[in-house]
Amino acid sequence: MRIKRIFSMAWESMRQRKLRAFLTTLGVVIGITAIIALASLGEGFRVSITERMEQGFELDVLTVIPGSLFAGYRYERFKDTDVENISRIANVSAVTPVMQIGSVTLYNGEKKATAFVAAATNFSEFQQVFSDRFELKEEAMPDPVENDTLIIGYKVNYPNKTETAFAFPREKINVTLSIPKQTIPPSVEYENYSFTVAGTLQEGGTSGLTNFDYWVFLPLDTARKIYETSLVDLIFVKVPDPEFSENVAEEIDALFPPYQITVLVPLSFIQQVDLILGTVQIFLTAIASISLLVAGIGIMNIMTVSVMERTREIGILKAIGAKSRTILTMFLAESLLIGLVGSLIGVPSGFGLAHVLSYIIARFAAFQPDWLRSPEVERVAIAPIFSWSWVIIAVVFGIAICILFGLYPARKAAKLDPVEALRYE
Amino acid sequence: MPALLEAKGLKKTYRMGRVLVSALQGTTFDVAEGEFVAVFGPSGSGKSTLLHVLGGLDRPDEGEVSVDGVSLSTLNDNALAEVRLRKIGFVFQFFNLLPRLTALRNVELPLTLADLSEKESIKKAEDMLKLVGLEDRMNHRPSEMSGGEQQRIAIARALINDPKIVLADEPTGNLDTSTGGEIVQLMKRLNEEKGQTFVVVTHDPAIAETVDRIIYLKDGRIQRIKKGYGRL
Repeated sequence: MRIKRIFSMAWESMRQRKLRAFLTTLGVVIGITAIIALASLGEGFRVSITERMEQGFELDVLTVIPGSLFAGYRYERFKDTDVENISRIANVSAVTPVMQIGSVTLYNGEKKATAFVAAATNFSEFQQVFSDRFELKEEAMPDPVENDTLIIGYKVNYPNKTETAFAFPREKINVTLSIPKQTIPPSVEYENYSFTVAGTLQEGGTSGLTNFDYWVFLPLDTARKIYETSLVDLIFVKVPDPEFSENVAEEIDALFPPYQITVLVPLSFIQQVDLILGTVQIFLTAIASISLLVAGIGIMNIMTVSVMERTREIGILKAIGAKSRTILTMFLAESLLIGLVGSLIGVPSGFGLAHVLSYIIARFAAFQPDWLRSPEVERVAIAPIFSWSWVIIAVVFGIAICILFGLYPARKAAKLDPVEALRYE
Repeated sequence: MPALLEAKGLKKTYRMGRVLVSALQGTTFDVAEGEFVAVFGPSGSGKSTLLHVLGGLDRPDEGEVSVDGVSLSTLNDNALAEVRLRKIGFVFQFFNLLPRLTALRNVELPLTLADLSEKESIKKAEDMLKLVGLEDRMNHRPSEMSGGEQQRIAIARALINDPKIVLADEPTGNLDTSTGGEIVQLMKRLNEEKGQTFVVVTHDPAIAETVDRIIYLKDGRIQRIKKGYGRL
């Protein structure tokens, strides 16, 4: 029998039992809807988190810090030769050492500002590493850099958006620095230094490992004179592409004795998080698949009843020359149609449900108490992501379930003895 | 001329609960092409079983049936279905039409099973409905038709694949006398005009007046074979 006729007969037979066909298909629709909704929400969740992390962590910048979680002793601070050695590694496009000075207080006449981090660095090298972030709001980077040049982070200069700036370019300000003294016991002296403001750094945002908004930058050479040391606290290393980061990190590690330094590789951190989120997504989808399994049992149940009801019809078909295979195909065609129709409805409705859920999640986030809410709460909203691969997985799985559970009743029908089936009332 | 249908030493026993019923106990006969044969006998004489075995719906425990030179015992289930489809037409007491399908679709069904295109099979089915005089009932479902009409549809369905032989099981058993007579007349006409071979299992004396040969069956054995009135 031609496959087209088998399907049109199966369609006709479903049409004749509309309520039954509707309810059976509804089970499949719910299953596919659940899978698609959870998968596309999960995908959206994963992508939104990964994207935010990628924005926060510059994936092409590695951070080298002294010491290790597991070290009994630590490599004190980095020497100029360390920086040179790192810069000679293949696939390192820029290197910048930073001397960290801790928090400092700035005075501009009556006005006072605080920076959590004062970083002494070579501005042009630093700009090569953080090319898109290390830019001034008002004008171009100072060139040449004087000994007393100072760059102020956005939040240091504008602690409150409504207030006027703490300092404007070319203003002279005082910075109080704490200088450790080699006395017994060790002591600290506060000394004031005069700097000329070069400008404010562009606003960087609150996410990320290195948030320059609360930093001030001074020239490395100046800091070296003040603190009478050439040693630096951390080294930023830029690679041309994140894909080199693992290899470069290994080579940097190899330059130092074991367990004395740590290279922070943002890519591997993100990969871990992505892996975890992907696992969560698969787990959620697997739970959703259970509903499809239940739908499959529904199909088996209904089809078995249907085979019993149609025993006589099967007997007639066999008497007039239908092969067992034809009967099998006829019943399988019905469950396949249920699967197809169920998927056809389930995929868009699942995606619709994902949008509804994402709206609800966004509303829920907006109702969080203030202390829990970050300023970016609006951006927390997860946009479901439509992915063909999940659609294919859901549809193939849905149809496979329908065929699998339709197989038992269909085989039962195909195996009926024609004489007994004809006698069935 | 070799017989169209040959039955040799057919034996068939089946179990009804705990009792073994011997439906056929060595039945042997044959039917020539173009013949109209009736099998007479009381109920329980094994008539229906005989018809099922002759038509390849059931397999005998012993003995041999051959249709148009093909021995049915050598065939597997699939090949047997193919013989039922192409060489045999069945007509039943309770018509056995598919209630969901229209008259036309019921008649067309065997052609569909034989992989004919829809266009071709519909054309053939329409012609066949004309032959049994029901072209105006084409789009009615069985529940909208009288018993006599349903049986004519069933006959049309039996004939649609040009079978070698039509096997009818009490075709008038569920009809009143005059309607039954019309069905007999229809079969008779098909036999005479088209040379269609019929084997009819019946108790209906109206059929006895028509057939070429009557086989009397009792307890699964042939008691006697008599020339009918049809071709005296």
